[in-house]
Amino acid sequence: MRKWGVWILVAAMLLAVPAFAGPALKGKVAVVLDVGGRGDLSFNDMGFKGTDQAAKDFGLQMTEVQSATAADYLPNIRNLARTKQYDLIICVGFLLGDALAQAAQEFPDQKFAIIDSVVDAPNVMSIVFRENEMSALVGALGGMLAAYHGYPYVGVVLGIEIPVLYHFEAGYRFGIAWGLEKYKAHEGLEALPNVGLLYVYTGTFDDIAKGKAATEAQLAQGAVAVYNVAGPLGIGDLEAITEWHNARGTKHGPPYYFGVDANQDYLGKGVHALASGMKRVDVGCYDAVKAVVEGTFQGGVVSLGLAEGGVSISGLQDLIDFIEFGIAGGALKRSEVYETVANWATNRAAIPYWIWEAVDELEKGILNGTIQVPTANTRDEMLAIRAQYPLTR
Amino acid sequence: MSADAMESRLQASTVARRALAGLNPVLESLLAGVLGLLVGALLMKIWGYDPWKAYHALFVGAYGDSYGLASSLARGTPLILTALTFSICVRAGMFNIGAEGQVYLGAMAAVTVGYFSLPPGLHLIVGLLFAIIAGAIWSLGPAILKITRGVHEVISTIMFNWISHFLCYYLVANVLVDPIRGEKTISVPRSARFPILMRGTDLSYSLFAAVAFALVIYFILWHTVTGYEVRAAGLSPTAARYGGISSKRTMLLGFILGGMGAGLAGACIVMGLPPTYAEFSGLPQISNLGFDGMAVAMVGRTHPIGILVAAVFFGGLTAGGRTMQITAGVPLEMVRVVEGVIVTAMAIPELVRLFRFVWRRSSSLFAFRRAR
Amino acid sequence: MNPTAQTTEPGGEPKYFIRAEGITKVYSDGTVAVKDVDLEIHPREILGLLGENGAGKTTLTKILSGLLPPTKGRVVSPRGPVRFGSPREALEFGIGMVHQHFALVGTFTAAENVALSHRRPFGRLRLSEAKGRLEELMDASGLHVPLDVPVERLAVGEQQRVEILKVLSRDVDLLILDEPTSVLTPLEVDELFALLRRLKEGGKSIILITHKLKEVLAITDRIAVLRRGELVGDVEAAQTSPEKLARLMVGEALIAGKEAIELRTEELPRHEARREPRREGPGVLHVEGLTVRGDAKKIAVKDLSFDVYAGEIFGIAGVEGNGQTELVEALTGLRVPVKGTATIRGVEILGKDPREIYRLGVAHIPEDRWKRGLILQFTLAENAILGVQRWKEFRGPLSFLRWRKIREHVRALMKRFGIQATGPGAPAKSLSGGNQQKLIVGRELSKDPAIIIAAQPTRGLDISAAQYIRALLLEMRDAGRAILLVSADLDEVLALSDRMAIMYEGRFMTVGSPAGLDRQAIGMYMGGVVSASKEGA
Repeated sequence: MRKWGVWILVAAMLLAVPAFAGPALKGKVAVVLDVGGRGDLSFNDMGFKGTDQAAKDFGLQMTEVQSATAADYLPNIRNLARTKQYDLIICVGFLLGDALAQAAQEFPDQKFAIIDSVVDAPNVMSIVFRENEMSALVGALGGMLAAYHGYPYVGVVLGIEIPVLYHFEAGYRFGIAWGLEKYKAHEGLEALPNVGLLYVYTGTFDDIAKGKAATEAQLAQGAVAVYNVAGPLGIGDLEAITEWHNARGTKHGPPYYFGVDANQDYLGKGVHALASGMKRVDVGCYDAVKAVVEGTFQGGVVSLGLAEGGVSISGLQDLIDFIEFGIAGGALKRSEVYETVANWATNRAAIPYWIWEAVDELEKGILNGTIQVPTANTRDEMLAIRAQYPLTR
Repeated sequence: MSADAMESRLQASTVARRALAGLNPVLESLLAGVLGLLVGALLMKIWGYDPWKAYHALFVGAYGDSYGLASSLARGTPLILTALTFSICVRAGMFNIGAEGQVYLGAMAAVTVGYFSLPPGLHLIVGLLFAIIAGAIWSLGPAILKITRGVHEVISTIMFNWISHFLCYYLVANVLVDPIRGEKTISVPRSARFPILMRGTDLSYSLFAAVAFALVIYFILWHTVTGYEVRAAGLSPTAARYGGISSKRTMLLGFILGGMGAGLAGACIVMGLPPTYAEFSGLPQISNLGFDGMAVAMVGRTHPIGILVAAVFFGGLTAGGRTMQITAGVPLEMVRVVEGVIVTAMAIPELVRLFRFVWRRSSSLFAFRRAR
Repeated sequence: MNPTAQTTEPGGEPKYFIRAEGITKVYSDGTVAVKDVDLEIHPREILGLLGENGAGKTTLTKILSGLLPPTKGRVVSPRGPVRFGSPREALEFGIGMVHQHFALVGTFTAAENVALSHRRPFGRLRLSEAKGRLEELMDASGLHVPLDVPVERLAVGEQQRVEILKVLSRDVDLLILDEPTSVLTPLEVDELFALLRRLKEGGKSIILITHKLKEVLAITDRIAVLRRGELVGDVEAAQTSPEKLARLMVGEALIAGKEAIELRTEELPRHEARREPRREGPGVLHVEGLTVRGDAKKIAVKDLSFDVYAGEIFGIAGVEGNGQTELVEALTGLRVPVKGTATIRGVEILGKDPREIYRLGVAHIPEDRWKRGLILQFTLAENAILGVQRWKEFRGPLSFLRWRKIREHVRALMKRFGIQATGPGAPAKSLSGGNQQKLIVGRELSKDPAIIIAAQPTRGLDISAAQYIRALLLEMRDAGRAILLVSADLDEVLALSDRMAIMYEGRFMTVGSPAGLDRQAIGMYMGGVVSASKEGA
């Protein structure tokens, strides 16, 4: 449905070639983060990482501005724009949308980009992801695992109820249902395995304790894995899962942690993090800076999905790439790298190979268009999908 | 210890006390502020940031031009009100930390004006009234618990804050929710918004509402019999009783006036802060306004006029904190550390006074007397 | 003059447990609380320490128990002089004191309170050990309290026993009790005395601080009498009488009665032309059958009836704590009485708010000027309207305070009553005690009252301020006001009153003209001994 966005991007790429000399640059880019802030090893850190990488690659200076409260969003953007020193101001996060809509009007000559939100202005590049696609892959894995291990539920802990998160939930629901069908077919069962979905919107993107509490509740009800869809709350989610294992003396196996945005498989030395639904915010930010440098920047929507490499389910190469990211973020020591990879591989190897093949099959289906993953942008659309895939026991 | 030694120590401490007591409060605050700045500079130096550049950015961002000043005032506006909430109750002899929860409900009440339409101006006034009433009603819980059952207000207001916190989470997500955008409440319509005072800034006419409230509180406390009685009962319940003053009445009044201020603070955000004029899930715009207000009250010596000055100072720290990130490259975490050090230093004189006072009062409250 | 000069038995064994030698205590404000006192405490005896308010009883015992250092003199044990830096050191030596105000944590049980008192800083609380020891101690002493109930739920007598247990558990040899019976019911008093006797038989020494003659004669072996800091008597209980003790307690200075009073009041203005007040029918203040409970729920004022007439000062003397405070509080709306009536010019006042009572023409000079009379952080102007803040003179429309009027009023007060202050904006705490009291008195008198209830109006004031206040009261009397004067200063009551009563345990022991009372009778009444000369109100 956002195909035209991709076409714009492709067109922009093509047009960029002759104009490679590019515009005169001021040499500065800025990133504005929402209240979640740095240190989440996920969404915000990825936004920072991508912009930082681009700044380094293109020889630009980068400024990072975090927001103490939501009341800081608009002033933060204004303060940057007023200096007239920035080639591009990237707003990382849906919540900055309203503020940017206002600022884009006030500063029509300033180029902006925003992640996860659509701001309809000629000077704003809106970068959105098709999170439903990779969430479907994660959901399929979760659904099959629950059936395989005989668990009653698959879990997901979400943040604030915003449209972006509906994408995740919709894809996850679809994926679980797809996975259960697959399991039934593979095992030759009479009926679908009796597996349900536990989901909760915690209403926060920064209160880690809420993530932990929500996860504990889902584990107690028998969730085979908990998918983190709330950035920093994943730290609390994983803590709950680790404590669950410690209390029972188990090291590997369910329940698992599903990471989000970044590859979070290395967290906790890879013992319980089985897979991540990766949303490459860093790629989005990098591309935006690149477009400005190359003079191809244009307002409009850019939609990134599996096909564009904007989203994916984590693999070994991703693990290796993101281990560096984790070390930089202080979540992993260099001496723990081999142990982490070994743990992760052990965990994955314990799962029948056909399940991984099934996940690949779903990915291929999405890529070649034979499988359409539903998504939701409004509450009503979400309710419709919940009705279609109730996933109750 | 010999009597002589004791005597001389007594004298020494008296001399020290006199020297401190003689210090002009304004001078004392300035001294504390300078001390805070120095410690903050030292911290930044240690972590490799340029303190001079940082403070320059802070000052320029806060007060360097009309935009900075407007931003500072905008951020100070709700803090004036929540600081008053705390101060009124301190003056009435209580340690009310319930402003936080009252702000939330004030904001929710103000949002409800989005469900009906009225002429501009009137719509705004109705919204403000809703917020004020909501804040006052929420403050009644701890007030009644204190007056009838003797529940200490620190305990009850903390609990009421949490109740309000989750209640408002619920209201945002399920009751006042925007049918198109689930992450926020419906927006306050244009006819009920405070007009922007200076284009291109956050500063709205809500500033005048806050200042007016501060002046009203000042006049009530220092120029009316009612305020006189509130302050008398706050300083000495026994003397107030002698003066025919009902402490229960003054406590109730303190809570209600405070709740009104906090409710108004919530309205100033949702009706006066661009761009969304709504509250989001997780209450990210109004969280901590109540607690920050307590710090403002300390720096402003729990006096309405002092609070006005302190709020401009606090707003400046926030506005300047932004430029510290942008032009001096100091990350937000360090900005907040430095701000915290400055605020703590400036709040210490009042904190010491307050805790001595509260201690004295509560030791008489908690101490076991044969009266029981 | 040392009545206990003999210090050793013929065998050379010391007969005393501890001895005070030439103890003098001067407080930092110059008050001489104790003057050159020699006193021995013998093993296995109960010593009564008798005296009026301010006689120095408490100060002396605080020195013995390590709470205060003496200014001069020393405490000697048979093994040599001892110095206590703190009550803990005194406890270790074997001296413990039970204060008038208990030091118990209300929500803790008796066992926890005792364990707490044994705790070293940051040390462990050995609760079960403490409980075991306590049970042994209770069996040994016959002193029983419930160990597992929070002490705030115990009766006052039981709480006192917890305090005593606390001290006994430290293995003390000398137990000092400060006015232990003032909060107890008669039955509890009997129990306490039985306990004290048992403890004595068990080998302990006990000092009992009291002002009650009957008690001191009933329980003690020896009685030391203090007056104005000096030891004026040290007698065997068996060889004295209430009359002798009363004389010792009240003092020789009053022997001449009338003359002594004249001496102290000669500077006071005399208004010879004053008309004798008419004492017929109900007075301006008419009290009938008034019964009031004290803080400890004990009846503090018992079925009291009296009248105060226009143009007279009705004085109430007596040792503090005999119901005077509760009486005044009941009459001024600060305490709800149990029963009885009180009228001001025929209007019932009991149960009314203080402000309504002021409206009826009552001025109240409260006994504690820092806690009740003034708000120290407030300015003179703010203090000058306390209680009358809602009067029309000071309150404008919308309840606005008329600060200009108030400041004028304060300036007038300052001028009329000679209050030394920088101005109406000066904080009350910057004033001297005398000026603070003048401010209160000025405020109260400016109410144009029909009756002035003055409680301890000159306490803690220097002579000139005190005399000034006394003169004002006389002036008001001569102007036809009724005055109820409650004072622990016997001389003051004797000098100022037209009629006076002596209050003991909530009752008037006598009511009459000061001239008609001899000093022995006064001492006996103050000590609670009823003599034949009792008259009705």
